[in-house]
Amino acid sequence: MAMGASALDTIVLGTPVDEARALARALSASWLELPPMGAGDADWQAIRERVTSHAPCPRVVLAVWCEAPRPGPFVSMSPDAWLARCEAPLIAWSVALGCAADLCADEGSIVAVIEAPNSLDASEWVPESGVSDAAQALVRSVAHAEGPRGVRANAVTAPLRLAPSQLVAPAPPLDRFPGELADEVAGAVEMLLSPWASGITARTLAADCGRA
Amino acid sequence: MVVSKPVVLVTGASGGVGRGIALACGQSGWTVWIAARRQEEGEGVAREVTEAGGRGCFVPCDVSVAESVESAVATVVEAENRLDGAVHNATSALSPRPVRLGEVPVSDLRDHVAVSVRGTWLLARETLPHLLEAQGALLLLTSEAGFEGKAKLSPYAGVKAAQRGIGRALAREWGPKGVRVNCLAPLAASPAMESAFELDPEMADRVLGRNPLGRLGDPALEIGAAARFLLSRDASYVTGHTLMVDGGSCSVT
Repeated sequence: MAMGASALDTIVLGTPVDEARALARALSASWLELPPMGAGDADWQAIRERVTSHAPCPRVVLAVWCEAPRPGPFVSMSPDAWLARCEAPLIAWSVALGCAADLCADEGSIVAVIEAPNSLDASEWVPESGVSDAAQALVRSVAHAEGPRGVRANAVTAPLRLAPSQLVAPAPPLDRFPGELADEVAGAVEMLLSPWASGITARTLAADCGRA
Repeated sequence: MVVSKPVVLVTGASGGVGRGIALACGQSGWTVWIAARRQEEGEGVAREVTEAGGRGCFVPCDVSVAESVESAVATVVEAENRLDGAVHNATSALSPRPVRLGEVPVSDLRDHVAVSVRGTWLLARETLPHLLEAQGALLLLTSEAGFEGKAKLSPYAGVKAAQRGIGRALAREWGPKGVRVNCLAPLAASPAMESAFELDPEMADRVLGRNPLGRLGDPALEIGAAARFLLSRDASYVTGHTLMVDGGSCSVT
């Protein structure tokens, strides 16, 4: 946990998947559940209203992840797969980051944890690559919009469940690739949330054991 | 050996940057299909392409609708028996509208995603067999917004970044098939930019104040020429790349 922080200081806004809840536990953070990927407009509007009535929080972490991602060629996806792999996550990240901006207290910090296939390993992870880049751009947008009230917004990217079993050469510098959620990823999040990162905003930190 | 001129399809080419790309390709004698929703304007650009030295044609297309993209690509291939390049330039009409991310109606987010991102998928899906045959190229129009984010244009920044991520990864997936995928990030004097400047009066100072060349790019002479290069055989060893054609404006590439 970040210096001087308590569970009450940190909220994880996450989609209802086990890995997102595990991140909240690793950070000793409280949990605010987002609708599942693919939720309708009314559900997303409801979470916006819920966040608006919530007390401001100094540290907000986002884990907007889908259930069990599976790779596959870009053009042979079914329409349902396309919606699940790309459109639904894009909507979810957009609403969630807007919620994070509303929830974050003045002088607070937002960190989005984004599952991102490394470029070398991105074949058959094309929609996920698009979602990852979009989420990072949205984080930077929030950093620009909320910076005037002292709010920082950064991203941590990690391959996590998108790491392939067979890697394109060369091998990552650290052989513990792709790393563990509770160790490498949570550690990067805590660093960005901490006062040690008070001058860092609109940045992406790749917690990928050097793969990028 | 007679090498025939390329045949390309450009979405959202009834005006602005898309029109510029179409004209630049026309100036090199290419056949350019204007794929757009606005028929009258699209047919006008097709005439301009022909007057510029190429051959311009119009086909109606709503890039967010699978059947429309399928029909548009089929029309082009039936007429030309080939397709060397496809350009996804169309964006949501909401693109220049300034708004705070937490206040964007979800329906507006869906519109951005449908035009820019679903359009990318549909165009890729329908054109791949023909690009494979021609060993051609797909070009996606992204933006500096997709690199650095935008405080007031967050949805636009998000979908433009999504296209860049898709382009980079798709280049890796399609490379072994011999089909190239690139992105182009323009800063152009276009109706969309004029609209954005009107909706956010401080935007012109922000955009041009940091631009070393101090001006917006010409959609045909500067943006279109760069797009034509990426589509052409001259760029046969360029894939997975985003070419900034922004007068040096974006500082985070």
